[in-house]
Amino acid sequence: MKLSAYELDNSVYDEMFLPSGEARSHCRHLRKALERMSGDEATEIQESVTRSFRNEGIVFTVYGKSESEEQIIPVDCLPRIITSEEWRIIEAGLSQRLTALNHFLDDIYNDAKIVSDGVVPKDMIFDCPQFRPQMKGFSPPEKIWVAICGTDIIRTNDGFLVLEDNLRVPSGVSYMLANRKAIKSSLRRLFRTCKVREIEHYGIELTRTLKELAPAGSPNPSIALLTPGVFNSAFYEHVFLAHEIGATLVEGQDLVVRDGFLFMRTTLGLERIDVLYRRLDDDFLDPTEFRRDSVLGVPGILDACKRGNVSIANSPGTGVADDKGVYAYVPDIIRYYLGESAILMNVETRLCRRPLDLEYTLDNLKDLVVKRVGESGGYGMLIGPQSTQAEREDYAKAVRENPAEFVSQPVISLSRAPCIVGRKIEPRHVDLRPFVLSGKQTRIVPGAFCRVALRRGSLVVNSSQGGGGKDLWVLED
Amino acid sequence: MLSRNAQGVYWLGRYLERADLLCRMMKEQVGALVDRPVEEINFAWRRLFACMQYTPAGGLFNVASDNFTQADSFTLAGETTFEEGNPNSLTACIRMGRENARQMRNCISAEMWTSLNLSYLKFLDSDIVSIWRRSPEAFFDETSRDLRSFFGIAHATMYRDEAWLFLQLGRAVERAQGSVSLLLAQVAEETKLETGLEYGLESLLAIFEARETYRRRFGFDVASERVRELLVTDPRLPNSIRQSTDAAFENLNKMGPAPDGDFEMPLRIAGRTCSLVRYEWPDVDDRRKLLKEISEGTRQIHASVEKGFFHNSN
Repeated sequence: MKLSAYELDNSVYDEMFLPSGEARSHCRHLRKALERMSGDEATEIQESVTRSFRNEGIVFTVYGKSESEEQIIPVDCLPRIITSEEWRIIEAGLSQRLTALNHFLDDIYNDAKIVSDGVVPKDMIFDCPQFRPQMKGFSPPEKIWVAICGTDIIRTNDGFLVLEDNLRVPSGVSYMLANRKAIKSSLRRLFRTCKVREIEHYGIELTRTLKELAPAGSPNPSIALLTPGVFNSAFYEHVFLAHEIGATLVEGQDLVVRDGFLFMRTTLGLERIDVLYRRLDDDFLDPTEFRRDSVLGVPGILDACKRGNVSIANSPGTGVADDKGVYAYVPDIIRYYLGESAILMNVETRLCRRPLDLEYTLDNLKDLVVKRVGESGGYGMLIGPQSTQAEREDYAKAVRENPAEFVSQPVISLSRAPCIVGRKIEPRHVDLRPFVLSGKQTRIVPGAFCRVALRRGSLVVNSSQGGGGKDLWVLED
Repeated sequence: MLSRNAQGVYWLGRYLERADLLCRMMKEQVGALVDRPVEEINFAWRRLFACMQYTPAGGLFNVASDNFTQADSFTLAGETTFEEGNPNSLTACIRMGRENARQMRNCISAEMWTSLNLSYLKFLDSDIVSIWRRSPEAFFDETSRDLRSFFGIAHATMYRDEAWLFLQLGRAVERAQGSVSLLLAQVAEETKLETGLEYGLESLLAIFEARETYRRRFGFDVASERVRELLVTDPRLPNSIRQSTDAAFENLNKMGPAPDGDFEMPLRIAGRTCSLVRYEWPDVDDRRKLLKEISEGTRQIHASVEKGFFHNSN
């Protein structure tokens, strides 16, 4: 295939090419492979991977008005490649970030020193809907509140930036592993030549992490994975992970709390669970403590957790630390607990609760991205450059009425990577979501769910809005 | 094993076994449309619907006209195969089986899931017009083969734990119920025929995949009593009722007692049903009554398994 027609834009970082049009040195094998590959071959590889995903049922479920539809997250077969040196920065930055956030969570649910020391505003924490007063005075084993974290990272010409921490029930790791399996078998020779670091041990690392967080006195802890059920869009991932870690996949209806312990109903009677990897939001976890109408959770589970009879990963109440307002304080949080500067920087974020930031935001709406602090998944935000005057006026009114609910950020152009589009190679915007595991030690497999905005020019990588996936190859030293 | 998972795997076995029986019946039925007399075709349709315990939307015909039978057969085949509103249609059984497998993916092997998912996706691409235009026999034959491949893959790849036992139990109970139901339907339809007429014995043997065995044991003269004896009591015929009830008993025996209620109830009922087939059949004159008792036995096995293993109050 011809690479000379590949469009470069020097204002945007390209993952494969230098501004001169030369391939970056770590992408030279990929360039050669692409030059050897015909358009027909590329199409064939794409189709074969898509077919294998469909056949294996690697899907997410979208529920419409009438019936459910199983959809594949489209995969682009060209890997995004990064060097071991670049990975070391990401790894160190993520490890530092999660360590600090775990300190932060343990602090705010206990002594709240960070608040009394004036580092983070009191109301930002205690008025946050994701702050769970029920967890006050609780400390999980090893003081690890967040055992599994998926952090969204983007790259600009200035380097890597953290876009968002996902500290509640981060998803996407199954696609990271499925993409690797598919691409590895499609680009066998290239994979071998490039010397790519392995990620297939993620399940082992996750199991180790969960076992380390088991209640004291459980030498061989029993682990279960709690799913909301088959109607959840990420159900495939829940099944996949349960398989990977050898856990029983349970629903709320399978569980019962007796005498402060958690049990599952089996064909042989009740069996105790020591560690519950929950893929269910806090709100639905325990109807006696959170939403009373929840039929997905288990009555009394929070009490069992607080008594130390079962460990829940991630602990209830972690959502307060990935609030978009708190995000702006993460560099300060790192400095406060670890005495270090953040290795991975945030996107510059203005908090509309501050008068100067509010004024700046309102004056520059058409150039900014404005987000509600409590929303996620790309919902409830205004993308200034793509908005109409009327939309901006409506949004400005909402911001003025409740400034503490909003933050603003400059529009960041995510880096681009080559993708197969029809019979050609074209650039598309990408981000990446590596997964960090935190137990007695921090573990990160060298890979990520790399998301791609498949629509030309689009910056939206969310799978629900036209995004797809790519395999991330981290090279050996 | 989680009770819910055990139930899911059990029903996975049941739905796919039901689908397989339907494929075998439909294969014979559409084959008969080519060269069998109209009366025999109508007889087999009535038997099929009685076995499925389902009445088609337009009712059952009884007009001995070739054109009418051919046209109606197309409609009935569509209803039996692709009608979502018919809970026992092929599409409903395969969809429900696949849905159970999807939910229980962590209890079965990845190879089993992929095999079933592929069959399901292939099935989704079919409709009655296209299969009728091509070769309906080939369609039912291929679908049956896909279902059996699934069970073959299960045999080759599935860990022999409780899930395996529940899958086999579901298959055995479904096969026993389906086979008894088919034989009862045959007997009921035979009683409506004029004296001296015998329909459906050859196709019955074909559905049970017992044609060659019958010929080896009894020769070419197909007699009603011998057919029944073979299909009910032969311990070596894979689809015989004895094989199915024995398999249900063996799987329950390996599972051990259910945790709730009367601990050994499912096993006791299965044992009693096995002895009806083994020891009562040769001595009983009223075979129809005995078939009904066997049918009730299989129904009770199912009910006691549901109560003891899936809905226990622990």
